[in-house]
Amino acid sequence: MSQITNDAEFKQALQDLDATQQRLVAAKFIEHVLSLSDDNRINRAVKAAADESASDGEISDALKSARAAIMDSSTRCGAEGNWTDQAGYFVARAAVAALTPQAQSKSGSPAWQAALSCRMAQTSIEIDSASTDMPGHSENEWQYDVLAKHLDA
Amino acid sequence: MSASLEKGINALKEQVDSTVAAFFSSCTHCGMCADACLFYTETDEAKRMPINKAEPLRRIWKSEYTLLGRVGKMFGLTAKVDDALLTEWETLVYDSCTLCGRCSMVCPVGNDIALLIRKTREGMAAAGHAPEGLIGATTRAVTIGSPMGVKLPALMAQIGHVEKDTGMKIPVDVEGAEYMLLLSSMEIMNFPEFIEAAAKIFDKAGVSWTISTEAFEATNSGIQIGVSDIAAELVQRIVDAAEKLKVKTVISPECGHAYMAIRWEGPNLVGKPFSFKVRHILEVLDEFRQDGRLKITGKEEQRLTYHDPCQISRRGGVIDQPRNLIKMFSDDFVEMPDTGKMNWCCGAGGGVSSNERADEIRLKVFQRKKDQLDEIKPDAIVSACSNCRIHLEDGLEEYHMDIPLLSLTETLAEHLAD
Amino acid sequence: MSEIEFLDWVRGQGFQIAVIIFVAGVIIRFAEILLLGRKTNLAEAKGSEMGGGLRTIVTRSVPDKSTFKRSTFIVVAGYIFHIGLFVTIFLFAPHILMFKEVIGFGWPSLPTPVVDAMAVVSIIALLAILVHRMRDNVLRFISTTEDYLVWMLTILPLITGYIAFHRIGMTAPTLLAIHILSVELLLVVFPFTKLMHAFTLVMARWYNGAISGYRGVES
Repeated sequence: MSQITNDAEFKQALQDLDATQQRLVAAKFIEHVLSLSDDNRINRAVKAAADESASDGEISDALKSARAAIMDSSTRCGAEGNWTDQAGYFVARAAVAALTPQAQSKSGSPAWQAALSCRMAQTSIEIDSASTDMPGHSENEWQYDVLAKHLDA
Repeated sequence: MSASLEKGINALKEQVDSTVAAFFSSCTHCGMCADACLFYTETDEAKRMPINKAEPLRRIWKSEYTLLGRVGKMFGLTAKVDDALLTEWETLVYDSCTLCGRCSMVCPVGNDIALLIRKTREGMAAAGHAPEGLIGATTRAVTIGSPMGVKLPALMAQIGHVEKDTGMKIPVDVEGAEYMLLLSSMEIMNFPEFIEAAAKIFDKAGVSWTISTEAFEATNSGIQIGVSDIAAELVQRIVDAAEKLKVKTVISPECGHAYMAIRWEGPNLVGKPFSFKVRHILEVLDEFRQDGRLKITGKEEQRLTYHDPCQISRRGGVIDQPRNLIKMFSDDFVEMPDTGKMNWCCGAGGGVSSNERADEIRLKVFQRKKDQLDEIKPDAIVSACSNCRIHLEDGLEEYHMDIPLLSLTETLAEHLAD
Repeated sequence: MSEIEFLDWVRGQGFQIAVIIFVAGVIIRFAEILLLGRKTNLAEAKGSEMGGGLRTIVTRSVPDKSTFKRSTFIVVAGYIFHIGLFVTIFLFAPHILMFKEVIGFGWPSLPTPVVDAMAVVSIIALLAILVHRMRDNVLRFISTTEDYLVWMLTILPLITGYIAFHRIGMTAPTLLAIHILSVELLLVVFPFTKLMHAFTLVMARWYNGAISGYRGVES
């Protein structure tokens, strides 16, 4: 049973995965925070990301759709921000990260970028709920477990 | 005259100085400014040409500060400023102008037309003719401390998140730190990775820095709406915090108008020189580069270009620094046609993106940036303003173009050697 | 009034009145601008105001490539008639003689055929500019009665001067008187119109360069 206990190991393990595996793991991360977004396009995008046999065309369509979702959910400059809505924005960012081809991805690791955005989605919700828990605490550890299980499978 | 209109006219009068008089005296109606303004070139609507936008200010100058104008006023011959004019000018002064200043670079007689429009906004706002979105943003900025309503707990949550992710401690309210970093609400809400990037860079550069819980907001809505009193109040908060923490340099983040507000207008708004320096994050990073504090590893494979945020490059003077920094992590960098101080505005700054009424025109004028990009076909665009970034992404999406936007600071942080 | 009396008046009293109004008007316009003053810039300077200002006074005369491509007609036609005006006013032998009488010294002139040709080219340029102003959508929108009046007052001396020199139509004295009168008309109206740009553009360009130079930008 693989043990991942910190971000350095987490990031390294993700980067060692090939492009398709990264996409599948990223999809799992996003599924955990999917409820924070009410945009159907994200649901469809995550389905495409989770589909191991998805074609390049399906991926790129899902990516386009997820990008549109980002633009619709980001808060315009000077508008009254709503952290619950922002959670949805970060879920959309995670979806885009998961579907972005590796070569174009920041730091060459789509899954890592997706994981970060998922954590931010969780942080956003916690800001609104005025929770006193350490933000993103549970999300990080949950992500480590998911990756570990995925590697073992 | 209603109380508001009177306030507007008085505000315009206060704005007239020798520069305004010299500019209006020199305008020959040659029309060259129109060719330099994307709000005209991409709409073909003559009314959106630059010098026309300053008409309310011009009428006040003419009728109050010229002999001919004052004589004409006595006989009712000089054009007036009334609510009808100001109403008509709302969509010109606010929706069709980002104060980008390209017109000011091109006018053959040397008029700083963007400055005239900035001054015109003072009158528009005082007379009650500013756009709803901006009024809301400004109210929130004054009462909450952030135009987007970002409160301290939200910032602390983002900071906590960064600390968890990186294992670094983000220094908050540290007295005697060298640098005090400001953040724009846009970054805190839409691009919080910026905080992490900045923290990493400062850490590797080995400099002391801090964020003030009493003044963390960089965005100055007062400048955008054109109410100097509010702009001054927002600046004063930063001054108070910087002096309390005894920092040497205040850093303006990746936001265009924030830099103009604190660096260039700031001391003039509050009426006193600052006892600390103000630098844009790019200036600070470039200083680190010059001092050898930045060890960079790996290169970006993609073909990169740089979009100059107008308030930072043309109106701010930070033109070479971003290029020096980009060249650290890129061997494939191409300039836009018309670059540096002559680059074209993205179309969203100066309050335009805060204004829902301006959405259509904002996306229409993006065509100019699209044409620039079509000429050089980059793989990615680097920039240093969160507002430019979101709007460029919006525009690229609208025109079905697949070119990612990268923050310069974030990209630099990714290439920091361990 | 006979031809000669008319010419005498135009050259004498008329000229004096025109010059007095012109000089007084220009001084008043300058005062109107400078007395307003401007606040000192309290921000930390990145570059020099004076250096920037002086620089822009010169460099603003040369548009950058992209701007020139977009505004070619205005730049080219503008330069043609401005240079033409300069040549016909200041480098024409009979005019230089007139200046010598008024201010005490003269300077070398250009050959008359050259000046003559420049006058024609300038008139053509100005005509083209009028057509452009009336047809271009931006210029049609922004132009006022003053623009058309000033255009008229600028082209009249060129046309009447050309006619007077070539002795077309009326007798020499009358033609000359009309030409000088057209110049006096221009002088009298000058300070109250955009023609002031001839002087104020030095200030405007300086301010522009100073403001930008302060921020470390060459404008």
